[in-house]
Parts: sequence; structure tokens; C-alpha cells
Amino acid sequence: MKNKLVLITSLVLVLAMLLSACQTATPAPTAAPAEPAAPAAVDCSAATASEAVGTYQVPAPIEGCYNVAWVYVGPHDDGGWSQSHDVGRMWVQDNLKDVHTAYVENVAEGTDAEQVTRSLARKGFDVIFTTSFGFMDATETVANEFPDIDFIHVSGYKTNQANFGNLMGAMEDIKYFAGILAGSRAMKDGNPKIGYMATFPIPEELRLGNAFALGVQKTCPECKIDVRFINTWHDPILEQEGAKSLFDAGAQIVMTGADTPAPAIAAPEGKWGITYDYSGNCTLPTCLTSMYWNWGPIYGKIVEGSRAGTWKGTWDYFDGDSGGLGLLGFMEGETMQPGVAELPAEDLQMVKDLIAKMLAGEFTRFDVFKGPITDNKGNQVLADGVSLEQLDLDGFKQFGSECKTCMYWWNENVTAELPDL
Amino acid sequence: MGLRLDVQKRTEDYPKWLPAATSVGAVLLAFVFSGLILLSVGADPIRIYSFFWTASFGSWGAVSDVIVKATPLLLIGLACAFAFKMKLWNIGAEGQFYMGAFFASMVILLPMVDLEATPKVLVLGLMMLMGMLGGALYGFIPGILRAKYNINEVITTLMLNYIAVFWNNYWIFGKYSDAGFQMTKMFPKIAWLPRLSDFAKQYKGFSGITLHLGVIFGLIAAVIVWLILYKSRWGYKITLIGDNPKAAKYAGLNITRNIVLVFMFSGALAGLAGMAEVSGVVHRLQERISTNYGFSGVIIAWLAKLNPFAVILVSVLFGALIVAGREIQPSGVSFLIQGIILFLVISSDVLLKYTIRVVRTDKNGEIVQAKSAAVEEAE
Amino acid sequence: MTLQETTNEALAVEMKDITLRFPGVLANDHVNFTLRKGEIHALLGENGAGKSTLMNVLMGLYKPNSGTIIVNGKHVSFGSPKDAIASGIGMVHQHFMLVPNQTVTENILIGLDEPKFVLNIKKYDQKVRELAEQFGIQIDPTAQIWQLSVGEQQRVEILKILYHGAQILIMDEPTAVLAPQEAAELIETLRGMARQGKSVIFISHKLNEVCAVADRLTILRKGRATAEGISVEGITREALASLMVGREVIFNLQKKDQAPGEVVLELQEVSAVNNKNLPALRKVNLCLKEGEILGIAGVAGNGQSELVEVITGLRECTGHILLEGKEIANKSPQASISAGLAHIPEDRIGVGTAPNLSLTKNVIMKSYDHAPISNAWRVNYTAAGVHAEELKNQYKIQAPSIETQARKLSGGNLQKLILARELSSKPRLIVAMQPTRGLDVGAIEAVLDLLLEERSKGSAILLVSEDLEELLSLSDRVAVMYEGEIVGVMDQKEADINTIGLMMIGSLRGDPACPPAETRTQPTDLNEQGAE
Repeated sequence: MKNKLVLITSLVLVLAMLLSACQTATPAPTAAPAEPAAPAAVDCSAATASEAVGTYQVPAPIEGCYNVAWVYVGPHDDGGWSQSHDVGRMWVQDNLKDVHTAYVENVAEGTDAEQVTRSLARKGFDVIFTTSFGFMDATETVANEFPDIDFIHVSGYKTNQANFGNLMGAMEDIKYFAGILAGSRAMKDGNPKIGYMATFPIPEELRLGNAFALGVQKTCPECKIDVRFINTWHDPILEQEGAKSLFDAGAQIVMTGADTPAPAIAAPEGKWGITYDYSGNCTLPTCLTSMYWNWGPIYGKIVEGSRAGTWKGTWDYFDGDSGGLGLLGFMEGETMQPGVAELPAEDLQMVKDLIAKMLAGEFTRFDVFKGPITDNKGNQVLADGVSLEQLDLDGFKQFGSECKTCMYWWNENVTAELPDL
Repeated sequence: MGLRLDVQKRTEDYPKWLPAATSVGAVLLAFVFSGLILLSVGADPIRIYSFFWTASFGSWGAVSDVIVKATPLLLIGLACAFAFKMKLWNIGAEGQFYMGAFFASMVILLPMVDLEATPKVLVLGLMMLMGMLGGALYGFIPGILRAKYNINEVITTLMLNYIAVFWNNYWIFGKYSDAGFQMTKMFPKIAWLPRLSDFAKQYKGFSGITLHLGVIFGLIAAVIVWLILYKSRWGYKITLIGDNPKAAKYAGLNITRNIVLVFMFSGALAGLAGMAEVSGVVHRLQERISTNYGFSGVIIAWLAKLNPFAVILVSVLFGALIVAGREIQPSGVSFLIQGIILFLVISSDVLLKYTIRVVRTDKNGEIVQAKSAAVEEAE
Repeated sequence: MTLQETTNEALAVEMKDITLRFPGVLANDHVNFTLRKGEIHALLGENGAGKSTLMNVLMGLYKPNSGTIIVNGKHVSFGSPKDAIASGIGMVHQHFMLVPNQTVTENILIGLDEPKFVLNIKKYDQKVRELAEQFGIQIDPTAQIWQLSVGEQQRVEILKILYHGAQILIMDEPTAVLAPQEAAELIETLRGMARQGKSVIFISHKLNEVCAVADRLTILRKGRATAEGISVEGITREALASLMVGREVIFNLQKKDQAPGEVVLELQEVSAVNNKNLPALRKVNLCLKEGEILGIAGVAGNGQSELVEVITGLRECTGHILLEGKEIANKSPQASISAGLAHIPEDRIGVGTAPNLSLTKNVIMKSYDHAPISNAWRVNYTAAGVHAEELKNQYKIQAPSIETQARKLSGGNLQKLILARELSSKPRLIVAMQPTRGLDVGAIEAVLDLLLEERSKGSAILLVSEDLEELLSLSDRVAVMYEGEIVGVMDQKEADINTIGLMMIGSLRGDPACPPAETRTQPTDLNEQGAE
């Protein structure tokens, strides 16, 4: 009897494990392949891709289509950075003719990046986007092996001026607008404390923080901004803890540099969060707005250029006029979150006007970083009317950048110390 | 009348082929179970498995990717098998891997030698030594705690894994950070293990074949581990202590010293894996240099029944599983299969201890006549 | 023959025609066994004769290939021990199954359905106390198991079974782990239980205690019953022995007179503490010469284990231990071994062998590190195999092959394996602790013969045993230990059991084992003293 018990227990355990495994293995609804876009000679949609295996799919090019692949650092439905790229991918699938798209998700930087990228290249994809900073060197290596394939790395700086380019956008514009809204909200709520949850002490995060702080200054001159570095891009738990600590320290609004809607989740009633990366992650009533990437049109242009043979691997830093940047509630067809809609009309109008100018190309990152700007130690960063230069936006002298002003300063309304380098 | 499973404790030795058969059976059964799961979510398991095959062994490039992936798994599988042989449950290969990677990287980051003037072979040799030293020192800690104070090594090694990861993070976020990112600068070429793709200019076929020298370390290590375990005096001592420490002490062996030595040797293998990965694949120290190799190594050692040569085969299998599995989107299929394999391998030990037969029973439930159909054959 | 003589109502257990076949072995061959209500029935046989198998069949651990079992008049077919327990059968195994950190009562309650939720331990303590009194068992229900001696733990096991409602008790070699005093108490307890209507099956291979305890006995040899339920009255030990082993056992050992030679082992003022840090050895002086067997007598726990451990390098001590003039105190087991020590440990499975390793790997345990078994780093398993095959033949170890795992061997063969390993190293000194304990008659004889052979080859032998008869028939001199001291040493010819008995309980002191060191400067004195 005892022996049988062992056997039965084992079987039950196996079954129990299978059941739990079923749940984790079930793909999210968003994984369902996109509907076929336009009827074509060859159906290039993922649904009929040669390697689609039921609800799972294996990235593989389709003969007769222009094949484009993406490499994501996180899950395609992470609610943040990777999902914003997946939205872009689906835009390409739906809006470009005879284009087939595929992705590989959860690729570890370092160990797996090079193999995964090379594997896609070997399969014969025509364009490959790698969408995490840590993929840069791997992409470069593989790009040099496959000169006929176009590689675009997102958020880095290296290019080979041929088939390997880099891509990033001026999110600082959007952060600046979000700052204007946050300042307005803080004035309305009567609490001048605002929090910025930054990821890593890198120029990008200081740039975005300063852009936000400059925006806050427009509507709330007495507001102060506190900063916390959480050293992660994506960690739901850590992000919530970080946001909570800022709220606990008295912040009225928390703006994040990381993926998840943690600031909105952690916000107690009457306080606010501003989310980042993905337009769909600002659904809670405590969320003011999302500062999001709209990669679709950008990717579309690159893919078309590549297909036409006009694309060349350069360092491409797009601004708002490209349509690649968005502020939730202010773009075409969007409605404002309740926490924003009730703000003073003149503040909302200011943001609307600026966004219109941005889309028209009349307002750029160099208008965000235009003097007079003073840092929080009282030194003048920029004199009246002087703008930062491109190198200054993304450089620390300490790391060998040839920037002149550099991004190693905090705007005067930021209370934090500069990070140690 | 009816049929029933009759489970009896084994009264005789199991046949020699049985352990291997249970491992193979566990893997096959894992694929069957995973197939059922895939089927239940609407996927086509047959096509997924056929894809597994082409994606891992369908081209030289794929084979190379598989072996590159198998290299750290091989060294770590050997590290685990070596310690397990003495019934030391070293679950800390992950941490020893990180420490090996860290120590090896220090050769470049400090730097310990003049990187301009020193020959490549010396730089790489020094990195190997430092990698093994790092792993060995990190194995020394749980070893001495277990040997002197009888502190359970499962707990200590598990905890030390976290410390190693955070220790690593401390340096790559801080002092050796590349422009604030959680990684160091890329190592100069002198610190890269030679790979086949380095010779792509001479032999065009090597383009993109990233097979690196680390796999040779792994194969040599397998031979060495085999020689130690099955041929040497030390291996005899390890086996003896593993089976009955009291008898070993009575036979005059120094248990304390051997626990520490085995832990250090195991750690050195895992550390070498860390060195091979940073020098052969990643070419820098960074946050995610391991995708849970340390834990896969435990499964591999079990599946190989601690036989070093079987570890080679099993790590290639796991390499293939990872390489092919990560292409299936959304991801996770290969980890699902790995988990089921581990579960079944551990459960299959039942077959080594018990015989299970299908028997015919009469009305009273009495066995009428034994049908000799061992379950492992029924699989 | 007895089956027809008794009526079924008087029978507690009736096993008819039991056959159990293991692959290659017929463990029980048409065995009949009956147990009357209220009797103590001894089940006698050599190791491997099928006693435990038969009882495991009764307990439902094995299913017989054929045969029927009737318990209290009902046909039964137990699927597991749980069914057997439900039918009122309980078994006390040789190795106790108790939780050390729980109390007696808590251990007794393990496996019961009550109490369901709340444990009113006081109530159950009282129940246990009452049950113990009923059967005259002395035990403190609130004591924790680790605080109890082996004998007391056995009582807990018995109480546990009684508490679970057993009418039939199976005692598997219950005296093997007990001191003589405790064994006597146990026998008294069992008799009391039989008087109160319980039936007891008493598994043993000790002929004398069987006669003392049992009403009837069944003897198994190689799976077959050579005696089925015969009365113990009028049976001689020789007759029992021949039923067990199938030949007349020679109890008279071939021991030649011989003059001891040089001093091999000398202990000077050796003191040590036990595991609880209490004094276990107090200034022990001993000497032992070539070709001499020195028996150590004493009630268990008076320092014998510690004495063996300090000599074999397993325990620290003060004083000096010289083996062939070389200091081995506080060195290491390795130092003692290389100085020429062979050690036959008390615990054959736990200490003496590596149970899951092959015969070969077990016999090279102490020779793996030198020629011809090994060179600089390598173990030559071919040479080891040859060596193992030689020893297997020479010492008549019964095993399918040298690749057989040690745990597959019977107790006697395991001991032969240990002896083969230890004696093949041509030791100068053999320390043997309880070398015959738990062995059957045939194996005992083999072991004792081997020791005597070593004696005639000139080895010095230190023999620790609780079996006084064995000790007296084997030793040249006998030393008695009491509370960590050697209270007397006597020549075998002068020794008598009464004197030794008085010394063992501390009421008599004899001559020292060796004269104090300063008077022993001349080697000739030593020889004279030894030759007396």
C-alpha cells in the first residue's frame, strides 16, 4: 500500500504540475496573430506564415514578402518598452504592403543576443530591429557578417554607415509636455512636491528628467522634484516600491523612466502617476498621461527605405515631427485622462499648442533645452537663447564624450544630488 | 477479474541499462507531456518538435549555436555531477559561475597585466586560472561551512548565488560601468577566446560560426572528471565518502579536507564556465551573463546520472532545447520542457527502487499470474 | 505435525504452505507456522534462513507466491502493514522507528487517527502510563526519546504496538541490541504479556535465550522449516544447532597454547571523554603482546567503545598509546592503520562497509593507496578485482560476484568481508569489537576461527565482547572494565565467570593490566609476566 501511495502521489504531482504549466504556457490574447491586412499574391501576415504552429509561431521569412524581424529584451506584452515596439511591428504588418513581420522575445542581453540576431539573419530576414541597448555590439557583429541585410539597433549610438544603423527619438519633448501637465496638477492640488523615478544614472535619464523639470517649471515655479534611481528598466515590484517611497516622501505626482504603470498603481487616492513607453499602460484613474513611443510610422519609413534600397545605416535621432512620439490624451483621436481634463484650460491649451508645433517641426528638443537654464547648484547651464547641442544631450565627459556642456547637471528645481559616476 | 499495477520493492540489483533507460524515458515522456500541453493551447507539437530538430541541428550554424550554448552547461553539469558524486548538493554553480566570470574579467578590468605587451595566450591562460580560482574560492565558503560546522550546503550555496549576482552587479553598475549601463566596456580582442568565425577570412564557411575554444575546455574537463571519478585514488575516496562517510573516516580518510577540496574543484569548473562565457561569448562582464545555467546544470547532472560523458550528451540536448525553444514565440516552451524533464527524472528513480508490473487479479483481488511487463518497457 | 494437534480456536496465526520466491532465491519454501494464543513462539534460524521474510509476509510487506494465512480464524490477504496492524499484529524491528525529539507518548500516538485536532498530552500520558503498568513496563511517558537507553526505546516500541491494539507481537531479534541485564528484563516482560493472553513471535538465533523465553519453536534453514512448532522442553543446544545449520557445531575451538612474544600495544595512563564530554576512560594502562588475545569484558557503556576509538585514532585522549613503539595517540585513523592496526568495528553496516559499493571497492578500503592496488594517482581496478576475488575465495564470502554491493550480503558474509579486508593487511594488532554479535552459529565459528588463526600467526588481538563465554574461550587474558577503568586482568586459565561478574559490577578489583611504567623497563620482565 505504501509503495502504491508513492506511485499515486507521483502521478498526482505530475498532473498538478501539468495543470499549472498549462496556465503559464497559455499565450496572452495579444499573441493571436494579426488579421490579414490586404489581399496580396502572397499572404504575408503571420497567421499563414509557414512556421506558424497554432497559437505559437516561429519567426521565419515568407518567400515573396519583404521580411522584417524584431528582437525584444522583454515579453512582447510587457506593458512597456517591448510592447511599444510590438505595437510598432503590428503597425508595419497592417499598413505596409507585402511585408511579413516576426519577433523573438525575452532575449537575454549578452548571452543570447548575438545568436538570436544571427539566427534571424541566417533565415533570410531582410530587415532586423534589435530593441535594447545591450544588443548593440551583437547587432554590429552580425551586421558585418550579413552585408545584404539591414540592421537597426534602437537606443544605442554605433553604426557602420552601411547596413547597420541606430535609432532613437526625442522623448525629451514629451517629457517636457508631461512636466507642464504635472506642474499644473501640482498647483491645482496645492502640493509642490513631484517625484521622478529614474532607472540608471546615464545621460538619457538625466536628459529626460531635466526636460520634465523644465516643463514643471513652466506651470509651477515653486515645485521641487525629487529623484530616485531604481537601476532597472523593467521590474514591476521594484518599480512599485520606488514609486511608493516617493509618494511616502510627500510627492504629489510621480513620473517614471521605467516600463510598468507602477506610479499609477502605487499612487494613493488624490495623487498621480505618469507612465512611460507604451500608450496602453495608462488606464488607471490615478494615471495622468502616458509619454509613449509610436514606433509604427518610424519603422514603416525605414522598412520602405530598405525595400527601395535608399536606406543607409546612420545614427537616426527623430524628433516629434516624425510622428514617433506621443502624449496620451493629446494626439489625434485620444481622450484625456480625468486627472488631466480637469486642469486649467490655459495650461492644456499651452500643451496642445506646443504639440501642434512639434508635429509641424517648429518645436524640437533644442527648444526644450534652450537658455536661460540654471542648475540646482546655482550655476548657469545655458545663457538666454542658447540651445544645447546634440552631443550635449547624450554625453558625460566622464565617459569620454566630446560634449561641451554635457548632461551632467540637474535643473534648478530638482532637489537631488547628481549621481556618482 | 481485472488488471492492476503491482509495486514491489526491488530485491535484486537493477539491470545495468536501467538508469540510462529511465533518463531516456524521462526525456521522451517529458516531450509527450509537453506535447499534450502544447496541444491543449492549440499548438501543433509535432511541427514544433520537427522545428526543434531543424533549428538546433539543421545547419552548421545552428549546430555551432547549440554547442556554444552547451559549453557552459557542460562545464556546470560536470561541476554539479562531481559534487553530487560525494553527495554534496552544490546548488551554487550559478554563483560560482558568476564569480569565475568576475575573477576572469578582473584580468582585463584592473588590468592585471599589460594588455598591450602580453601575448594573447598568456592573457587567456591567466583569465582561465583566475576564473577557476574565483569559482574555487566561492566553492570554498560552503565547503568549509559544511566540513567544519556541518551547515547544510543546499542553503548556503543557494544563498551565495544571490550574493554573487549582486556582487557582480555592484561592480558593473559602479566602478566598471560603461557609461552608466549595467555592463563593462567590451574587452579588447586579446581577451577573446578564439572562435571559428575569427578565421572566416581564410575559410568562408566559418563566417558566423561562433564555436569558441571553451568547448574544448569542456571536453577536456569531462575527460579529467571521468579520470578522477572512475580511475583515481581521489575518485575512490570521493565515492567512498559519498556512500558512507563513517566508513571513510574509519578507513583513515580526511573527510573535512575532501569536502572542501571537492567543493573547490566543483566551483573551479563552474568558474571556468563563467570565464569561457565572458571571454568566448559575451566579451564583457554584464548583468545577464547566465540564463540560469547553474540550475540547468543540476538537471543535466541528474539526467546524466553523474556520468561525465553522459553530461556531454545531455548538455548538448539542453543546448539544443534552449536554442530551438527560444525561437518559439511567445517564449517559454523550452523552460516548460526542462522543468518537466527534471520532474520526471527525479520521479523515475522510483523505477530503480521498485519493480512495477501489470498483474491480473481474480474476484478477491488476488494476483492470478504475474505478467512480466516492466513499466519502463511499456514506455 | 502440530497442525492437527491443535484446534483452530486456540490459534492466533496459522500460516500454511507459504512459498515466496525472490528472483533466483526461494526465500520461503512451503513453510508452515502456527502461533497459539498466549504463547511465546521462537523463530530460529541462521541469517538468511528466511525468518524475516516469513514475518514480512505476515506483516503484509511481501505477497507470498502461494499459501494461505489465517489470523484468528479468518483468511486474510494483507496488502500492507496497515492491514496487518488492523488485524492486531505488530512488529518491533531491530532498528527502532522513533522520533528522537518527541516524547514517549507523542511517539506512541504517531500513526493513530486520534487525537483529531487538539492534543491533550496529559490525558494520553496517563493512558500510556496505565498501559505500561498493566504489562509491568517501566517507562516515563514524558521523557524524550533521545534521553532513553536502547532498552528503554525498545520498551517504547513495544508499548506503541500494544497501544495500537496488537494481540500478536513480532519481536525481530530483540536482544541483539540489549545488555544482558536488559535482555533478562525484556524476557520477563514478554512472559508477562503472554500470561495476559498476548501471543509473541520471538525471532532469534541465540540458542540459550530461546530456551529461556519460548514455549515452542520453529526452525528455518535455507527457506525450509526443519522444525515446526516443537516444544522447547528437553531439547539440547546441540540438537537445536544442528537443526539450524544442518551439521554439528563445534563449539570447542581449536586453540593451541603458545607463548606470547614482544609487546605490540601499550597504553600508558590513557584518559578520554565520551560524546557528552564526561570522563569515559580513566588512566587506562594496558599491554598486549604478539600472539596474544586480550579480552575486554564489561557491561556495555563502561568505556569499551572509547577504548577502541582512542586506539584506532577516532577519538582524542591524554596519555600515550604505543603501537610497536610508535606513538599513535591523537594522530589519525590513518596513522593507526599505517602503524599496523586492523579494526573490526562494532557497526558492520554503518562503519565497517560502504553498503552501496561493490565487494571490490569495499576490500580495498585500506589498501587503495599503495601498490599493487594503486600507483601514484590511479587505482588499478583490475588488480583490485584480482585481490577481491582472492579474498572472496580465501575467506569463503558467499556472494554472486565481486561486483555485488556490500549491502546485499548477509551479516555473516559482511563480517567475513570486513575480516578479509582487515586481516589481509597482515596487521600487527587487531582490534575487534563485538565481532560475532548478531551472527548465526556458522558465521560465529568462522569468525572465531579466523581470529585464532591470526593469533597463531603472531598478531596481537584486542577483543571486546559482551559475550562472556566467547570471551573466556577465546582470550589468553581477560581485562575487565568498569566506569572507564581497568579493574582487573587475569589469565584465562585462572579466570572464572563469577569473579569477572563481580568486577564488572565494580565490587572487586584485581591486578593491573600492566605494572606501572617505571617497573617495566626490562623487556624480559614483560615476557615473564605474559608467560605466567
